[in-house]
Amino acid sequence: MCVFLQGEFILVSDKHTDASFLIHHFLSFYLRAGCKVCFLGLVQSFSHYSAISQRLGVSLTQAREKGQLVFLEGLKESLGVLLQASKGTRTMDFLRDPSSGLRGLYDFVRDNVRGAVGGAEEWGPPVLLVDDLSVVLSLGVSVGAALDFSHYCRATVCSELQGSMVMLVRCEAEEEEESDDEGSERLLRGLIHQCSLTLQVQGLPTGYCRDIHGQVEVCWRGQCDKQQAQKKLFQYKVHDKGASFFARGMSSAVL
Amino acid sequence: MLLEVLQGTEAGGFILIQDSVNYCGRHLLKSCINAALKREEVVHVLGFEVSQEELNDGLDKTSAQRLHFHNAYSDPLGWTGNSPFTVHQFTLEDIGTLLKQTPQAKAVTLVIDSLSWILRHHDPAAICQKLQALKKGGVVRAVIGLLHSDLHQRGTVGSICHLATSVITVAPGTRGLGAFAKITRRTKSGKLMQDEEIFSINEDLTVTIQSKRSHPGSTPMNTDESEVDPTANLTFNLRLSDTQREAKEKLPLPFVFRSQHFCTRAPVQDGSFTSLMPMMIMTRRILMTTLMSRGQATSHVEHSSLQLMPLLDIYMPETTIIAWVPA
Repeated sequence: MCVFLQGEFILVSDKHTDASFLIHHFLSFYLRAGCKVCFLGLVQSFSHYSAISQRLGVSLTQAREKGQLVFLEGLKESLGVLLQASKGTRTMDFLRDPSSGLRGLYDFVRDNVRGAVGGAEEWGPPVLLVDDLSVVLSLGVSVGAALDFSHYCRATVCSELQGSMVMLVRCEAEEEEESDDEGSERLLRGLIHQCSLTLQVQGLPTGYCRDIHGQVEVCWRGQCDKQQAQKKLFQYKVHDKGASFFARGMSSAVL
Repeated sequence: MLLEVLQGTEAGGFILIQDSVNYCGRHLLKSCINAALKREEVVHVLGFEVSQEELNDGLDKTSAQRLHFHNAYSDPLGWTGNSPFTVHQFTLEDIGTLLKQTPQAKAVTLVIDSLSWILRHHDPAAICQKLQALKKGGVVRAVIGLLHSDLHQRGTVGSICHLATSVITVAPGTRGLGAFAKITRRTKSGKLMQDEEIFSINEDLTVTIQSKRSHPGSTPMNTDESEVDPTANLTFNLRLSDTQREAKEKLPLPFVFRSQHFCTRAPVQDGSFTSLMPMMIMTRRILMTTLMSRGQATSHVEHSSLQLMPLLDIYMPETTIIAWVPA
């Protein structure tokens, strides 16, 4: 009997398309659920996420002030690291020395994902959101270091604190199989081995469609053998206030 | 053969389970652990990839005292400063220290979950040396390792496979048929055996073999859906009645060279191979036609062969014709 439960590690990946709508969805979802959210926004500014979350009905500014949301604004921090070589926290150390890995980033996560001791508010299980992890590869960090980082996050957030983790990985279109040792495909495979649920977002195989923006393949990597082959394919359309999912061929535009 | 490997009790064995993103080999690894526990062996697990709770889930609880989990999951690189076991401690001395926790055990099985984690932080050649030393050194009776073959270069995977006495490569089976395993086993005498089986793992972590020697690609497709006769319920007739079939066979084919020696079926008896035309048109494959003159009047044979060749070239361009006409 498989009764073991722990937090989920959800991996969102995309190829030739943009899956960041899922990150916005998860961010507003977990904030509405009252969880403590630690968000590593490495590719966009805070105001970008704030504007979109406003449309989804959640105020990031308020959540940050209340202490529910801890937001690492990667772009702003990196400017500090690059312009003031002497100062700067260890969080973005990998910008100065990519070979040192993401240990500083993990320390940031570990310190901020737990609730404040004796804090006024009691938040739900902690959630870590990363947007996106594959950008560190372009900054010189090795695939092994990125996988070590995700392993440590999983050990702390999912196993120790019973929280959840959502990471976005973006794949480049790599055709050769042998030469992608240090590429995003290898990072993706390593993360798939670690996670419990993958959401692979792609464009439609038949090309562009105005009413259907793409398809999502949901794959459960269950604890029990029975859940092994659980794969489902959905199509989606992104609206102003979120995304809608439907089974293949069931879009309201074609019915 | 899968069950034999799982029950394998030969000393100095190294069982390698290779998986990929499509199918997780950890369930089979847990079956191996369970089988070893049931055989009253002491099992030491170097757990890098999953936590102790996740690995123990589903294992036989009655033999829990024979299972020793060494936690290399929570801090494998020593980032927190007080790690129970780090990846850098994967050496013979340190493993020996771990195993000394159970000095009275005669048969110790060492399980490594997973080798991929260690290979990410160590040189593959060094890992191979350590695995070989573990196998031969008598410190452990058997080693079972899990390897994610799609995370390493083929050379690295090949080197590790070469060390193993048994390699089980797992893949997802075709719809609803469990999983597919390809087993390669090397006996002490050097004999190599291979097998392919479809298996499934039950709730109590025992393995059931469903069928043998069925490659996932070659499973007949009609087992997927119920058999449907496509010729039923048609608005047109696909069959011929007897009279229709006779009339069809009597019909001369187009472009048959009609001559006085025209004969519909029988092969050449009279020296004329024009009568072979219907057969040759019907086969339409690379055809070797050996033409022999039977001592008929030379002029007759030459005449009909001259007439036939251009026709063959036009109507059967893909046919190779080898003609031998003895002088």
